[in-house]
This record gives sequence, structure tokens and C-alpha cells, in this order.
Amino acid sequence: MVSEQILTIAEAARLIAKKELSPVELTRTCLDRIHALDNQLHAFIHLTEDRALAEARAAEAAIVAHGPKGPLHGIPIGLKDIVDTKGIRTTCQSRILADNIPEADAACAERLAAAGTVLMGKTTTHEFADGGPSFDVPWPPARNPWNPDHFTAGSSSGTGAGVAAGLILGGIGTDTGGSIRGPAALCGIAGIKPTYGLVSRAGVAPAAFSLDHIGPMAWTAEDCALMLQALAGHDPGDPASANRTVSDYTAQLGGGVKGLKIGVIHHFHEVDYRVSPGTKRGIDDAIATFRSLGAEIREVQLSPLQDWGACGSLISMVERAAAYEEWARTRLGDFSERVQRRLMLGALVSGVDYVQAVRRRRELRAELQTAMKDLDVVLTAAQPAEAARIDEVPVWDTFATPSFTMPFNVAGYPAISICSGFGEGGLPVAMQLVGKPFQEPTVFRIADAFEKATEFRNRRPALITARAAA
Amino acid sequence: MPSEISDAALDFLLARAGLSLTPTQKEDLRSIYPALADMAARVRQPRGRMAEPAHVYEFAEEDLW
Repeated sequence: MVSEQILTIAEAARLIAKKELSPVELTRTCLDRIHALDNQLHAFIHLTEDRALAEARAAEAAIVAHGPKGPLHGIPIGLKDIVDTKGIRTTCQSRILADNIPEADAACAERLAAAGTVLMGKTTTHEFADGGPSFDVPWPPARNPWNPDHFTAGSSSGTGAGVAAGLILGGIGTDTGGSIRGPAALCGIAGIKPTYGLVSRAGVAPAAFSLDHIGPMAWTAEDCALMLQALAGHDPGDPASANRTVSDYTAQLGGGVKGLKIGVIHHFHEVDYRVSPGTKRGIDDAIATFRSLGAEIREVQLSPLQDWGACGSLISMVERAAAYEEWARTRLGDFSERVQRRLMLGALVSGVDYVQAVRRRRELRAELQTAMKDLDVVLTAAQPAEAARIDEVPVWDTFATPSFTMPFNVAGYPAISICSGFGEGGLPVAMQLVGKPFQEPTVFRIADAFEKATEFRNRRPALITARAAA
Repeated sequence: MPSEISDAALDFLLARAGLSLTPTQKEDLRSIYPALADMAARVRQPRGRMAEPAHVYEFAEEDLW
């Protein structure tokens, strides 16, 4: 019998393998939570309840007959609503695609389905994975489970909220400048933007082609590793897809951090932009934890955070404007006000500005490569502060605060956000751990060691625990 | 990129992009233009004409048939 305790993917997989947990029971428990909580959280834009129960029953039958095909078999997940799903409405949270029903699954959806996951539905996003929160699209923005008056960050907002609240055990996010790591940070979960090209973008609505990444979001780094194992791999359908052998993403888990070298980019979060006291305390405590576990801590100096942001933002504005040019010209008023603003920006960036940004990108990536030569990961903030109130998010947030996540979209390096504590009002704070290209196993190893050495994974949002107590 | 943009320049750029904006939207864009100009300045470094962009490419083995 499933209790109100929310399981991680790894825990559920172990119970399913021992036939102590039924995928149908697990799916029903998640559906119960969705029915009880999603009217406050709006994590789902479209629930696929009948399909979920059918998939759960099929998973159960297969597992009884043959055992699970892997750790994701029978696990309830959500897909961000910019991920194409065959026969299931995929709106990108936009009235422009309100009735869009794709004829094929995106590659990532296909891979998760092949791993035996149970699709609970399509999760809320910012419109076309762009500016949000928007209140002028047909569906409401997701709310933060730690305090529904507060923002989730975006654009993978519904997946972040859904995982934190236990509505799903994992889900897909996409990340062009931080859209996996932002919601992961503010919702207190784990989310990794893998190395550029590791997970196919085929069938996912573009935001900015050269910055777009697809990746998993879940309660723990270990769960993200389990999901990435199913997602990673070459796909000829994505011209940027890396054609290389897929690593074993759980192989290094439990290896600890003794002897590993962690570089801290202090100036990002202490000089270039001063993060909140809670965020800084979380990072400082994390550094102390890593040191106590035997890691070697070093200082890293890079170009100012704002340089990375300028480079990524200019590229993003232009690539987005190119992708959506036709609709911007003919249907601009059908976009939310926030997305209209962002699409308009593309008109003001010249072709020369764009190429200068792409030249700067090469320099910045070389700089990070040099800085990481003798390091295993680098560490900095994931977000500048705890979640703001949802009604206080600046319209031009791109310019209001520099992005701590964009540098690693510019570089294409793998970066995970994990919870590093709680700040004012009990809202989560987070840090990023950034690895070398295709070194996700090391990133997971270090993130997992931190999660297991601290207590932050034992705490869930109050609205969940209050429901459990009732 | 100058840090301010004239009405005529803004109208030209919007017309070239095929965007039809309201006066309020144009004012909104004008208000953010200095921040955009700062970004454009930041990506310009003393690098000389030979510095390559990130988007150059090479042929992979499977391209060579």
C-alpha cells in the first residue's frame, strides 16, 4: 500500500522490482494528489488520466510476467507542453497552438515511453518556453508548491511544481538559458541541463536552436541520472545530436567526493551580482560540506556574469525571432504580452551584433575550458534568491537580474541545480554544479554525495505534509 | 550600437522586421534599448578580424561518403 510518503524514482523502482509496489497503485496515488492539489498549483495544462491508468496497468502486467525492463518501468512522469506527443494536444501554452495535436512523439517522449514510464500529462510551461509568468494566455501559470503565492521560475514551471508536490516522480524540462535549472532551484528539486547534443531536441518546440537543451527534472540527482540514462543517445533527427557512446550515469553514485576538485566561481554570486543571504549561506555551507567530505576547493575566475548573459541573450533573442518570425509578423497579438516583447527585441539586434555574440561565445567557452582543466566541477548559484511573489516578477526580467544559468548554455556544459537549503519564509535555495562536456556521471556523483550528506531531501512543501496529516 | 534610438531608426527596424507595433509597444522597446546596447557592447572585444565564431563546423566521418 502506498502511503502519503512521496517516493523518489529510485525508491519506487526498487519496490516495483520486488513487487511490493504496483504501478497502478503508484499512478492512482499521484492522480489523487493531482486532484487534491493541482487546482492550486496548475502544474498540468492537460492531464492524460485514462492513458496513464492504461499504461500503468500494462506496465504492471509486463512486470508481473517478465520483471521490470528498467528503473523507469511504471514510473509516473510529466512532459513539458512544448514536447510533441502523438495524439495528445501540445499547445506550447499558446493560443496559437491551442488545438495542435502532433502526429508523432518527440524523441525524448519516445525514449521515456520505451523505458516504460507512465505519462500523467503535459505540464505547464511559459508560452513557447519564453517569458513568464503570463496571465493573458488560456491557461494559468504554475504556482510554487512551497508557497503558491510565489513564482516557480520557468519555463519548465509545471514540471518543477509537479515534482516538488509529488504529482509526478520526474519529468522533462527544456533549458535555453536556465529553464530546467530555474524551476528546479525555486521548487527545491534537482534538474540537469545535460551537455549540448546529449539529448535529442527533435520534436520539441525551439526557443533558440544553439542554446536549447532537453533534460530531466526529479526530486534527486540520482533520479535525474536514472532518467538521463533513458534519454541520452544519438538521434539523426537532431542535427546537433552527439554521436558518441552513452555513459553509465549511475556508475559513480556513492563514490563520494574525496579527492575531487571543485572550483567555486565566487565572483559570479558575490561580486557580479550579490545573491540573497539565504542563497549565499546555502552555497557557503555546501562548500564546507564538500570540504568536510574530502573535496579540494579552489577559486575560479571567469569573465563577469553579465558578459555571459549578454552573449547568450543576444543569441537567444535572434534565434527565437528567426524561429517565430512568421507568426510574429502575422499573429503578434495572439502571443502573450511578455512573449510579444521578447519577439520584438529580435528586430533591434543586427546581424553583426549576432555574429559578434557568436564570436564572444567561442572566447567564453575557451575560457571555461581552460579554467576547468584541473577541476572536476565548478560551483555557483543557480538563482539569485528565493522565489519572488508571482505577481512581482519584472516584465523585462532578462535585463533586471543577470542569469546564473545562461553561462552554461553559452558553453554547452552540463549543469545541475540542486537544493542547498532554505531561505526566508522557508522557500528553497539552490546551487549549480557544472561539469565538463559529457562528464554527467561526475556531476551526478558530486550532487548525490551532497544530497546524501544533508537533510534537504527529507523536507517536502507544507501543503503536501499538511494533506498527509489530515 | 548607440545607447539611444530615434523614432525614425526604431520605425525602420520594425518595418524591416515586418512588425506592426502600437505606440505603447514602441515606447516599451525604446525604454529597454539602453540595456540592449550594453549587451551589444559587451560582446565586442578587441579581437581582430581573424577571430572565429562558435558556429563554424567540421565534417564528421559520416558526412564523407
